[in-house]
Amino acid sequence: MNAFGRGKDRLRRILGADVETEVESELGFHLLMRIRDLEAAGLSPAAAREQAARQFGDFEAIQRECRTIARRRNRTMRRREWMAELRQDARFGFRQLRRNPGFALLTVLMLALGIGASTAIFSIVNGVLLRALPFPEADRLVAVYQVDAEGAEGNFSHPNFVDVKERTRSFAALAEHASGSAPVVVGGTAVRVPVAWISSEFFSALGVGPVLGRTLLPEEFATGAPVAMVSDAFWRQHLGADRDLAARTVRVGDQPLTVVGVLPPGMNLPGDAGLWRPQGPLADATRTGHNWQVVGRLRAGVPPEAASRELRGIAQALKREHGDDTMIAGAAVVPLHEVVVGGVRPMLLVLVGASGLLLLITCANVVNLLLARTAARRRELAVRRALGAGRARLVRQFVGESLALALAGGVLGAAIAAAGTRALLALEPGRLPRAGEVRVDGAALLFALGVAVVAAAGIGIVVALRASGGAPWAALVEGSRGHSAGAASHRVRAVLAAGQVALTLVLLVGAGLLARSFLRLMAVDPGYRTEGAVAMEILVPWAQGDEDRARTLRFHQALHERLGAIPGVRALGSVNLLPLQNAGGGASGTFAKIDGTETVRGMEDVGRLVREPGRAGDAVYRVASGGYFPAMGIPLVRGRLFDARDTPETVHAAVISQSLAERAWPGQDPVGRQVQYGGMDGDVRPFVIVGVVGDVRERSLDAEPQPTFYANVQQRPGGVSGPHTILLYGGDPGAVAAAARGILREMDPEIPARLSTLEEVFSASLSDRRFSLLLLGAFAAVALVLAVTGIYAIISYLVVQRTREIGIRLALGAPAGTVRGMVLRSGVLLAAAGVAVGLASALLATRLLAGLLYGIGTRDPVTFVAVPLLLLAVAALASDVPARRTTRVDPMIVMRAE
Amino acid sequence: MGRSNTLLHGALDALILRTLTGEPRHGYAIARWLESETDQALRIEEGSLYPALYRLEERGWVEAEWGVSELGRSAKFYRLTPEGRAQLVTRTREWEVFASAVSRILLGPAGPAGAVG
Repeated sequence: MNAFGRGKDRLRRILGADVETEVESELGFHLLMRIRDLEAAGLSPAAAREQAARQFGDFEAIQRECRTIARRRNRTMRRREWMAELRQDARFGFRQLRRNPGFALLTVLMLALGIGASTAIFSIVNGVLLRALPFPEADRLVAVYQVDAEGAEGNFSHPNFVDVKERTRSFAALAEHASGSAPVVVGGTAVRVPVAWISSEFFSALGVGPVLGRTLLPEEFATGAPVAMVSDAFWRQHLGADRDLAARTVRVGDQPLTVVGVLPPGMNLPGDAGLWRPQGPLADATRTGHNWQVVGRLRAGVPPEAASRELRGIAQALKREHGDDTMIAGAAVVPLHEVVVGGVRPMLLVLVGASGLLLLITCANVVNLLLARTAARRRELAVRRALGAGRARLVRQFVGESLALALAGGVLGAAIAAAGTRALLALEPGRLPRAGEVRVDGAALLFALGVAVVAAAGIGIVVALRASGGAPWAALVEGSRGHSAGAASHRVRAVLAAGQVALTLVLLVGAGLLARSFLRLMAVDPGYRTEGAVAMEILVPWAQGDEDRARTLRFHQALHERLGAIPGVRALGSVNLLPLQNAGGGASGTFAKIDGTETVRGMEDVGRLVREPGRAGDAVYRVASGGYFPAMGIPLVRGRLFDARDTPETVHAAVISQSLAERAWPGQDPVGRQVQYGGMDGDVRPFVIVGVVGDVRERSLDAEPQPTFYANVQQRPGGVSGPHTILLYGGDPGAVAAAARGILREMDPEIPARLSTLEEVFSASLSDRRFSLLLLGAFAAVALVLAVTGIYAIISYLVVQRTREIGIRLALGAPAGTVRGMVLRSGVLLAAAGVAVGLASALLATRLLAGLLYGIGTRDPVTFVAVPLLLLAVAALASDVPARRTTRVDPMIVMRAE
Repeated sequence: MGRSNTLLHGALDALILRTLTGEPRHGYAIARWLESETDQALRIEEGSLYPALYRLEERGWVEAEWGVSELGRSAKFYRLTPEGRAQLVTRTREWEVFASAVSRILLGPAGPAGAVG
């Protein structure tokens, strides 16, 4: 029963060796003893053997049973031992961490940052890109586009839709929808609500039903009844979440609307709709009025390509049957998921990449920290190994320590991710699709945990293998001086530090490219004056019959008169759509140049004219008042602007942009020329061009200015029957806005208005890019800090390790400057190695940014030169701090200490 | 037969634990001690001792090590662990309760009216 015997026995048990021998020996011993005692009692050897066997029982069976139990016992004991060791390791690890709380805290914080950032990004990417749309069997949902002869995808016209729906076999449900805004009066307040006009199969195609009330009935679609379904948000915000839907009246203009049902929360297709109304009979829809978007649910088992093929055939048949009356030449079927999220995919993927890099950098930093600490514990490790601790045990201990750190980092990181996701979504420009569906949910937490565990395992193993490698006695003998294992460890750390620099360079280059893009974009001249003007967007609720147009015009004029009287306002004008407010560019169409001799009686003549060679031109179509141009600071280049001479009875005046003048009438004076633009509002009276103004970027800053055609609102009031914007230039924006709102409310409290400054509108158009830049910049900044600390740490370590050598050099008369220079040089060289690798990687990586840049290439020389220089400079500074410390080394102290 | 096996099982564990309250013993010594203490009244199948011992070892109520026996041969000696000691107390108490309950019925005054004998 001595300790040695026990150790051997336990070892044997742990190794699971030789259960057979154990059982055989033990049972054999028993029989031997029994036989001996029986012989002592007088039996013959043979009789004793027989009786002993009988008394014992079924030897084979018992032996088998014992062996089974013994093996099970060994397994159990091994497991228990393992757990006890693990507990011991954990306790030990905790003690170590407690002794060095600063280190532990720093590591946990860094890990939390890296894990938190990547989990936040993952949550967003998961919610927006990866998860299916929140409809049943969402992979069968598609959007269908009409394709014209040039291959451009666009909206359907109603008659085409009806024919396609009738003839197709590929769809279980097919519906069309159109979006607009409606000024709605509910509970006494006027609000502007996005409205969707839908056909009868819309809800069944999506697989959505009401959570309160009922859905729309077929007869309501047939007649276009004044009923509506509302979104959950609308119900809560404007109907007070009242379960009695008839309790509140909802009115659009003079027409009361009955709310019959409420849709589930999160249902807001298309385009953030709050109200869904049945489309009605649409008797006068033309085959060229492309106003409808189409969504459908494919029949089970029908792939989109098959549906696409079938629809193409139908489209071609329609073209054959109707000839020039229709523009349809084909059809395209696109999965709905793609339509909703496709646009943001590039940017989100870039962010995923960036957060991945940040995570790598974080892990590298943590490994570096751990290695540094391990180096300090080298002697302790050596002693333990000499005393027999297995390498596996040591590795497990380190993994345990780093696991504890990583789990703490993971938990904190999940919290950071939750807060971060919320913050990011609050900051985001509002155009992120499905932003409402983003949650930090189980998937994200699992991701964070997974990253933490992998990081811990990786870090722990790397560190432990490094630390426990090499012959233990070497560490003991050579004391604290560097030896082979130490040198190798140093090399690993150097590689890690250089790697961090490389990754940081990639992030910085990416951020730098985006930043330069952004600055370039901000420097683009939009063509108008962005500051000093207030924009008031209003939506009049009256219907669009002719008397109502007259009424609209009168109201419009009265409003302008009163607004013009606001003190401080120097210029006042209106337009149906501000520049940069609609990425699609808003209304645009084809016009025909005429000379006044053509007879135009109706739309067929217009269509004919437009198709004659040499006559046609394309332009963005706007309806504006004369005051619009001075209010916006758009310069007059030739001729005149709209003025009092232009009345509904005189010839219709038009103003065109410079690029349109150059394109349609190159080298000539366009003033006085005539244009037929009836396709835009059905009015076939010709236009006469009276003036040319400067170009304005209507669609976006990063595209060339679009040729623009302005009609006079006095003569074509159709432009102000929908939402339009009034601009007030001059005076204090706050006071002007308040006064404008007051005047409007006095004149008609049921007209909803949205007030902002022109500057805000301009800024909003850049919000996407600004957001991405902010994020990437944040990542790059954090990465820079981490990389710099990495360099600083390793150079500091170097100085400490080589204190003796430095002391000797100083004692031998080397000037302090040389030693300092030596240290500085090693730091800069290290950083330079990282920079070199980083540059090579960046040249490849920035190709991913190609679609997001403006005005600069993915290999922009300025960025690619500035960033490495910045990194080298910062690395030099970081190395200088420990370098300077070497000048304060007292050679005498160093010599004595060793 | 099954019921009494279980009874014996549990009892056997307790008996073994009791046997080991003193010095460590090997399996044969445990068998001999049980024989002598009960004046040969308890005659268990000797072999069944060993599976019981291995199970006790698996549960951690006894621990074993190889040592040198009286004969000079190496044998496996068992001794109680702290958990084993605690288990012994519990089992003893359980047995007391069980035994007194059974005794009360079997050895007490006449059973319910109409019962045989």
